[in-house]
Amino acid sequence: MRFVSCLRCYPQLLGAALGVTATLPAAAQSGLPAPDSARTQHLPLVRVPGVRPDRFAVGSRRFTLDSLALTTYRTGTLADVLNARTALYLKNYGPGQLASITMRGTSARHTAVLWNGFNINLPSLGEADFALLPTSGATQVDIQPGPASATYGNGAVGGTVLLSSQTRWGAGWRGSMQADYGSFGLRAGNLEANFSNQKLAVRTSLLYRQADNDFFYYEGRTRRQQVNAGLQQASLTQDFTLRLGQRGELLAAVWLTDADRQIQPGIGTNNTHAQERDQSRRLMAGYRYVSTRHEWTARAAWFEDIINYRDDVSGLSESKVRTTQAQAEHTWGFAPNASLRVGAEAQHFEAQVDGYGARPRTENRFSGFALFRYDPRPRLRLSLNVRQAVLPGRQPPLTPTAGAEWVALETPQHAVSLKASASRSYRVPTLNERYWRPGGNPDLLPEEGLGYEGGVVHVLTLEPTHLRLQTELTGYRQLVDNWVQWTPGATYWSPRNLRQVRAQGLEASTQLGWQPGAYQLTARASYAFTHSEKTKGTAADSDPVGRQLPFTPLHTAAFSTDHLWHGWQLNTTLNFTGLRYTDASATDFLPSYLLLNATVGRTIAVAPSWKLLVLAQGYNLTNLSYQSYDNRAMPLRHGALSLRVLWR
Amino acid sequence: MTLFSTFPSSAARLLLGSVLALGLASCDSDDEPEAVDIPSNSVLVLNEGNFQKANAEVSVFSKNTNEVLYKSAFSAANKESLGDVAQNISLQGSTAYIVVNNSNKLEAVSLPNFKRVGKVENLKLPRYFVANGSKGYVTETIAYDGQPGQVSVINLNSYSVAKTITVGKQPERLLLVGNRLYVTNSGDNTVTVINTTTDQVEGTITVGDSPNSLAQDFEGNVWVLSGGKVAYNADYSVDYTRTTKGSLAKIIPGQLTVATTLEMPSNLSSPNRLTINGTKNELFYTYQNGVYLYPVGNATLATSPIIRRNFYALAVDPVDRTVYGGVASFTSTDKVIRYRTGAPGNAYTAIDSFSVNIGPNGFVFN
Repeated sequence: MRFVSCLRCYPQLLGAALGVTATLPAAAQSGLPAPDSARTQHLPLVRVPGVRPDRFAVGSRRFTLDSLALTTYRTGTLADVLNARTALYLKNYGPGQLASITMRGTSARHTAVLWNGFNINLPSLGEADFALLPTSGATQVDIQPGPASATYGNGAVGGTVLLSSQTRWGAGWRGSMQADYGSFGLRAGNLEANFSNQKLAVRTSLLYRQADNDFFYYEGRTRRQQVNAGLQQASLTQDFTLRLGQRGELLAAVWLTDADRQIQPGIGTNNTHAQERDQSRRLMAGYRYVSTRHEWTARAAWFEDIINYRDDVSGLSESKVRTTQAQAEHTWGFAPNASLRVGAEAQHFEAQVDGYGARPRTENRFSGFALFRYDPRPRLRLSLNVRQAVLPGRQPPLTPTAGAEWVALETPQHAVSLKASASRSYRVPTLNERYWRPGGNPDLLPEEGLGYEGGVVHVLTLEPTHLRLQTELTGYRQLVDNWVQWTPGATYWSPRNLRQVRAQGLEASTQLGWQPGAYQLTARASYAFTHSEKTKGTAADSDPVGRQLPFTPLHTAAFSTDHLWHGWQLNTTLNFTGLRYTDASATDFLPSYLLLNATVGRTIAVAPSWKLLVLAQGYNLTNLSYQSYDNRAMPLRHGALSLRVLWR
Repeated sequence: MTLFSTFPSSAARLLLGSVLALGLASCDSDDEPEAVDIPSNSVLVLNEGNFQKANAEVSVFSKNTNEVLYKSAFSAANKESLGDVAQNISLQGSTAYIVVNNSNKLEAVSLPNFKRVGKVENLKLPRYFVANGSKGYVTETIAYDGQPGQVSVINLNSYSVAKTITVGKQPERLLLVGNRLYVTNSGDNTVTVINTTTDQVEGTITVGDSPNSLAQDFEGNVWVLSGGKVAYNADYSVDYTRTTKGSLAKIIPGQLTVATTLEMPSNLSSPNRLTINGTKNELFYTYQNGVYLYPVGNATLATSPIIRRNFYALAVDPVDRTVYGGVASFTSTDKVIRYRTGAPGNAYTAIDSFSVNIGPNGFVFN
């Protein structure tokens, strides 16, 4: 494994004309420190002749989990990865159960999750369950905290999670197969096959996993065994990219996920044998055409999300939402240092949800955007983006984002960049908030956010030992208005635009890459201070102002290391989650916890093209009794053994 | 920036900080039981808690010092959570009985230390409980699919179910009058009368739609409050053309018919939480976002409230006539507001309030 190495130059011609070399990670692109240098180790051959949307996200913090970081979690879910590798807090209702994210002091509905450019949050709930997103569905996960509706659209208030599959051209046939055997009946398998030449790139990934999750936990001093928490989960991903001539590219992707989960009852609550089936079918296709100064892209997607829930008390509740959407955009590199992208998006939702009544509900949403990037000087980058959404009923405001980055210092060893951005954001009321019966409120206003952030990035590079240390500090503040909250009414609960919430905080991260010889180390540490509270409310909002929001830890931190040496590997993750209040008055709380996981592995070459990787993974190594979410048990120390066969 | 100025020290600090935080956290959850000592002249407030969170609790308010002595008495005394959705608390002698609906159990704790003395598990969505010496009766919904509910007879020596008696749909509060047990069937328009000597159904009395609560007055008569049947449109908005009015019915013990029925002035709200004062001549109930008072014997029901506030719990102190109202938000620490009046007929005014736990839904006076 090498640090940034060779780059093929063929599509760069086009990229340069557009004012970008989008084929590269940000570091190589412009001297701006890469958000995650691990990325530079593995993607030297990537060539995508287009402009990535993050080119227009100047001044915003962004970090990447690349295939190296994801590979240990090949049979896991994004919830596992994000929990272990980032300082993000995901409310976890149990292992494999609902995992809902909170970014920068907002709720899960305020995080946009995009797959190949399309929002995949469940339209009914307006959020994603990260336990339903297997890691094998993407090869790269980019996380951009903070408001960015101009770039990513609806719901990018607290942050955005971008899932993508990076194409490796000319890599030939590659494949791998993995089998896992672990505690509490964990059995998992993953099969991945890749093919690419200079014209066609195909990736297929299959995942199956099941677990009984009949782990032991403590209720007070009583040891109990968890019931009704088993699951079966499968995922199929198919990515396809075909080059049409020198300038055109056809891409298509399929991602099918299916999970059949028993719903883990809360500690001390009645087991009503709740069970949920979640199925998502996601298909997308697109065409991209790149000329000297222009790029045209058209994409369409069709999603079907099914949630069927059943328990002894309420019986069966079914939900099926189909989303059809299209995006078109045109990028014009009208000068070597300036480019403009304009585009539009249309979405059509068709919801057949028991909670909405017998007839299907349909809704159309549209938005148009313009993204502008201008580098007035080699060390100064600016972007100005704007989006206007068109919704049924009430209109969200125009959401602009302005960002700037300035490389203040650049020497062979040191680079220091300053960055700042300001952004408006919006969140459209979810289908549940609008149509759920009883209570759904069709008159809800979209939520609006107004946020700022500023930060500094320092990169230290010491070539003799291949050392690279990147440190980033970001401060932010955001006000979210018309915050929607469900409140009890005379006979039922109803969502209303009740309050204003102010979230502010600090994020610090540092990453070290070091390769003195055969030994290679990557270490990452990150810390987040998140202060989020209600600042104003309507008379109907009885929750007090000035208290930290429930389930928003003030302090979170993550520390991970990846060591490689002569075929051996050791990966450790240490994650700290501070105390979380469980009520709006900030009186009751869940204690903080520190989780340690580690993986030891050995790669053995068994034949010219064949390698074998044996991994022993240990979780919660300190045997901590903890709860991520209120009253849901989590397992004590447990582990898994994995065997991976790699071909080429 | 200083925190992360160099990598190794930052990692060390992070680790150290986390370990410290962990140490503090474990100090918080001290394992030694905290002594609970509930004095006389106190009020036990039952906090329902959030569904599925098993954070139901009992708070204890002292009338001597006018302060909350224990916010979470059950877990303080027993070092475990009370359970999920506490529905009802009642007192017999020095034993308090707590029905925990979504934990399907009945907890018995003794005063003053509030330690558990018994537990009955595997009930079927239990709602309300009444003790009768060494026997107890608990209403159970069983399911919300239209099947009839039941009353389980509990042996309070062995804490086991001795017998189950089928009653009407969704039985709610129940009242013991001599050797008769009156059970409100809120899914129907009936009250089931059970003979507590034989534990057999003696008969069924038809009352207004959806009876939910009841009380016995100074003359020995039983008053049953019916909420009225709420009819919904397809979109779950209330269809007031088909919604029936609530009513208050008087039953003379021994009779299986209603002696008098007084109808509520409007069907826009369902009356609930019938309770009676210490001298048993004033009935209080919640209705139209307020508290209404019915002096026993009046020919009509009041059209205006004595307190304009929406309560999730309502009780009247049998000794000093103070009205206790529980305000439930279910999102934050909730409160109880107390009201007093001078002479009968005077206005009720709030005297103070105190914070309890989440969702106060009932009181008992010790």
